[in-house]
Amino acid sequence: MTVERAVLRVYRYNPERDEKPYYREYEVPVDKAQTLLDALFYIQENLDPTLGFRFFCRAAVCGSCAVKVNGISRLACKTPFKNLVERANGKPITVEPLNFLKPIKDLVVDHDQPFESLKKLQTWCEPKEPIPEKEYRIPPEEVKQYERPTNCILCFACYGSCEAVMDDPKYAGPYAFSRVYRYVLDSRVKEEHKREMVKNAMDVGDIWSCVQCQKCIYVCPKGVRPAEDIQNVRGIAAEYGFKDYPGVKKLQHFVDWIYATGQINRLSLPEEVYGVDPTPLINKFKERGAEVWEVPKPLPGLLEFRDLYLEVMKEKKPHLDIDFHHVRKIDKRVEEVFNADVCTKITERFEEQREDFFTRFWKKLSEFFGTK
Amino acid sequence: MLEYDILIVGAGGAGLYAALWASQNPNLKVGVMTKVYPVRSHTGAAEGGINAALANVAEDSPEKHAFDTVKGSDYLADQDAVEIMTKMGPEIIYDIEHRGVPFSRLPDGRIAQRPFGGASFPRTCYAADRTGLVILHTLYDQTLKQGVEFLNEWFLLNVIHNGERVLGVTAWDIRNGGVHFIKAKAVILATGGHARMYWNRTSNALGNTGDGTAAVFRAGLPLKDMEFVQFHPTGLRKTGILITEGARGEGGYLINKDGERFMKKYAPEKMELAPRDIVARSIEREILEGRGCGENGDYICLDLRHLGEKKLMERLPQTVEHARVYEGVDPVKEPIPIRPTAHYSMGGIDTDKYGQTEIKGLYAAGEAACISVHGANRLGGNSLLDILVFGKITAEHAAEYVVGVEHLPTEGGEYVKREEEFISSLMDKEPKEKLADLRREMGDVMASKVGIFREEKPMVEALEQIRELKERAKSGLAVTDRSKRFNLNLIQTLEFLNLLDLAEVTALCAIERKESRGAHYRLDYPNRDDENYLKHSIVRRREDGTLQHGWKEVVITKWQPQERKY
Repeated sequence: MTVERAVLRVYRYNPERDEKPYYREYEVPVDKAQTLLDALFYIQENLDPTLGFRFFCRAAVCGSCAVKVNGISRLACKTPFKNLVERANGKPITVEPLNFLKPIKDLVVDHDQPFESLKKLQTWCEPKEPIPEKEYRIPPEEVKQYERPTNCILCFACYGSCEAVMDDPKYAGPYAFSRVYRYVLDSRVKEEHKREMVKNAMDVGDIWSCVQCQKCIYVCPKGVRPAEDIQNVRGIAAEYGFKDYPGVKKLQHFVDWIYATGQINRLSLPEEVYGVDPTPLINKFKERGAEVWEVPKPLPGLLEFRDLYLEVMKEKKPHLDIDFHHVRKIDKRVEEVFNADVCTKITERFEEQREDFFTRFWKKLSEFFGTK
Repeated sequence: MLEYDILIVGAGGAGLYAALWASQNPNLKVGVMTKVYPVRSHTGAAEGGINAALANVAEDSPEKHAFDTVKGSDYLADQDAVEIMTKMGPEIIYDIEHRGVPFSRLPDGRIAQRPFGGASFPRTCYAADRTGLVILHTLYDQTLKQGVEFLNEWFLLNVIHNGERVLGVTAWDIRNGGVHFIKAKAVILATGGHARMYWNRTSNALGNTGDGTAAVFRAGLPLKDMEFVQFHPTGLRKTGILITEGARGEGGYLINKDGERFMKKYAPEKMELAPRDIVARSIEREILEGRGCGENGDYICLDLRHLGEKKLMERLPQTVEHARVYEGVDPVKEPIPIRPTAHYSMGGIDTDKYGQTEIKGLYAAGEAACISVHGANRLGGNSLLDILVFGKITAEHAAEYVVGVEHLPTEGGEYVKREEEFISSLMDKEPKEKLADLRREMGDVMASKVGIFREEKPMVEALEQIRELKERAKSGLAVTDRSKRFNLNLIQTLEFLNLLDLAEVTALCAIERKESRGAHYRLDYPNRDDENYLKHSIVRRREDGTLQHGWKEVVITKWQPQERKY
């Protein structure tokens, strides 16, 4: 019986002696390797002892062995070899180092920088005073909230797949913001330090550069969902009242306009976020005869609910800091344009169903912001 | 030349915690050297939990914890050290809790505790089944906060001392290549265990090769109780990867091919939660006597199905993942094939209860050390406690010690030269042997002859075979990759040589101990013999390379040995 063999096309580069990187192909018997890591060992033990790669626990918990397999970041020790071979369908399987990190040798890249980012973002616990004699009391539900981000093993698979890293070298990386989120959710951490971490996430880590492509979620070998954590940290930044960031302004625009009219205002968005005057754009549209809606028309029925929304927001989450002032200004414009009475009173009907409505509405809102 | 007041070698739980305490004094220059990156360390693989008598779930006390530990150790642990450890347990838990370890909680918000093998009360604090991971990462975050200096990806070569005081270490810079002497007034070895000597039959990481222990041994200092290697009852059949004791703590059953919960024959009261040595032997016996599962009858089943998917995903998510990835089995629907796997080195560097060796300024902590708090058998949940308690104690002791002494006048040139010559000799040799083959042979010899069941004749053979392997390695094992940068071939060869040294000591000690105690079980001497062997075994290497074996008294404070029944 012939043993099925697969071809691995492996990135090789030893800056000590190679002018530039190259690829070398190795044939690995499929039954000799349960995982991709086993296949790399097969090469090292039988074909080429000079192959450089990292490994340690071989059980998906130490985070050493993340590499790029056919373009996708994976833990070598957690990637069943047979599946790879089946999917490759006779073509070579390309194994390369993670993207965006300095090469050391072959599949080994420098992890110093992503570790250094954690230090810059200060992702650690500064305990809240007074420190109890025994343990802090923490409800099990709270621990559950940071269960996912604490699964992170810092393998940097997400970093090597990140669209934001590709564009913005200052961007700290998805894993780093999951770390921020984890400590911000922790009731043991001092409030000032939480603010510090969130501020660092923006100033040092460029958290607003994330384009929400969700690749980090897709590649994470431990089920962490950094893109979601990033959204949550952004929401928290707004809650904390950090206003001078384009991202926060954008969020504010979304909140204000959606509450006022049920939709965002594409024309005023650049102005509110980046201070760009929209007039030339509006004029250009008008010149060409396009219909320009300076104020989006509220959805039918929306305005009836609107005051109630705002009231709930304020009552249950005062620190969310809806800019009523701004919303009222929008109201005025809506009133002018549509000649409508937008300051609706709460009807008796809603008064009756208020409690029920509150509960449902609050649930929706907390899902959106991801906090309790 | 790199120079530190305190150099910590190893950045797992013991090393990181030592670093946090040593650097409390801002005037001390503290460095941590690790052959990987700190968060890669094997502490991260610890799953089940950490013991401390918090009494959050049931009445408990450090004294009861100490008794359970001593009994679990089959009375070989030094009771004064055990008392220190269990007494410090609660304060250590509170300290790491204040630093942010996300422990699982009781409904009232206090730290949850679960039952574990060999414990009389639910005493094991945990964070689902990734307790070690979150402790390691939380401590790492704290070292970033404290600005601890790391030498990442540096490999320990040798410990340098002058017969009285430690001078520092020699090390290989893995990333750039090259030997360095690192000068230090105090060195804390927190380099982990050496169960990789069982190569394919271990739960250990690939790098758990006893580098610190072997360096101490080469430096002529004593190793203690090296015959005691714990086999964890539940390793995955194919890879030895660990399934946590928590799986049985949560109510998992061990089943033989007849579907029988066979532990009722061996430990009728504690059943699956008897101490690890007893459960491991019971499983092995079932297999040897033909009641194993599968075509070849070479494994036993761990059945978790009755726990239900919800509980499994909540309490044992990593277990579920491991079974799915490495065994292709879904524990929600099928039992997991397991067999015992070499897991923990009770033996190691001989130290006193403060982690001090014979050489001033040289300390050991964690699995590398044999203090001894685990004696002949470690209880589940005691290793994470051990590494933190003695990480702290050694750090505080060292921090006090270094304040009173000056650096010794040496530039270390001669040590560097010696290492360079040795490494060149490895590279200049004509390659006649393959590292992978020798390593596999070592593992097979150790697993089959110095494993769970032991007997004079096979062990004597094993010792011979290990010595032959050493000869073969000496004459024919060459490092064929001559490059400097990230030379794995060199590192793996050095690691293998470390393991070989330690395997020889393990086999010798196992032969010399003619009794059964804890993890050391001899078919030819099935009973414990307190009259002759209630002693620590001590081995050191003479100048000519031969081994000198001797004994050392066990410290007994409160608990006289009694029969160990569960």
